[in-house]
Amino acid sequence: MNREVTLRLALPKIPDIELVAVEGLAHLGRHLGIADEQIGEAKIIVTEAIINAFEHTVGENPVVKVKFVMTKKELVIFVRDYGKGFEPESVEDPNIEDKIGSTRKRGWGLKLMKSLSDGFHIESGNWGTKITITKRLS
Amino acid sequence: MEQQFSLTSEIQDNCLVIATSGYVNNVGGEAIAEEFNRHFENGIKQVVVNLAGSKVVNSIGMSFLIEIIEKLNEVDGKLVFTNLDPTVEKMLTIMGIFKFAGKEATVENGVKSFARQT
Repeated sequence: MNREVTLRLALPKIPDIELVAVEGLAHLGRHLGIADEQIGEAKIIVTEAIINAFEHTVGENPVVKVKFVMTKKELVIFVRDYGKGFEPESVEDPNIEDKIGSTRKRGWGLKLMKSLSDGFHIESGNWGTKITITKRLS
Repeated sequence: MEQQFSLTSEIQDNCLVIATSGYVNNVGGEAIAEEFNRHFENGIKQVVVNLAGSKVVNSIGMSFLIEIIEKLNEVDGKLVFTNLDPTVEKMLTIMGIFKFAGKEATVENGVKSFARQT
């Protein structure tokens, strides 16, 4: 049996709201009998994706929508923001040698998401950004 | 859910040991940097950051750690991470942080690692 559970969240921009998504993810995992350690990397992916999404989001009541579709074998993460978008191809891969000595130490989100995932797709435009990430769990 | 960030610090063998608890985000990262700066001004050049109590961190929080590493590099000092959750360790590896900082299993080993260098 390959049971599938889905969780949809609409997150307001308030401090540490990404932890709500991380907790939701852990709850789904526990429901399917997946150990917390197995979804550790997914937690980082989700955290970085939501932080990135809010960085691109403007307006009075910004919302980031998140959807998790989880089976025992795989997790698919969808993150959608309604911000101004950006050109993913123009984002340079950060490296520590450049960051040391630079005034900008941030900018690791995309690299971490790509490195920790098994599938990564991003679409972005003036309508916002959609990220779809696949992570194998077994 | 991951608890709110807090930290403790102490000096062991001329080494600053900072132990964190909770989510290391921008607020947590800044708190670590402030604690470090307070001791750095007094000449501390050896730092252990014990992340045993922090299972969730983010890259913004870690960017403050990069600032600390940079300052220590400038004075031939060093930062050593200890008690890393495997996921956090993988994240720091991807960021390349261990090219400029150390890692040890325990605080005791972290403090001893400085003694080995001197």
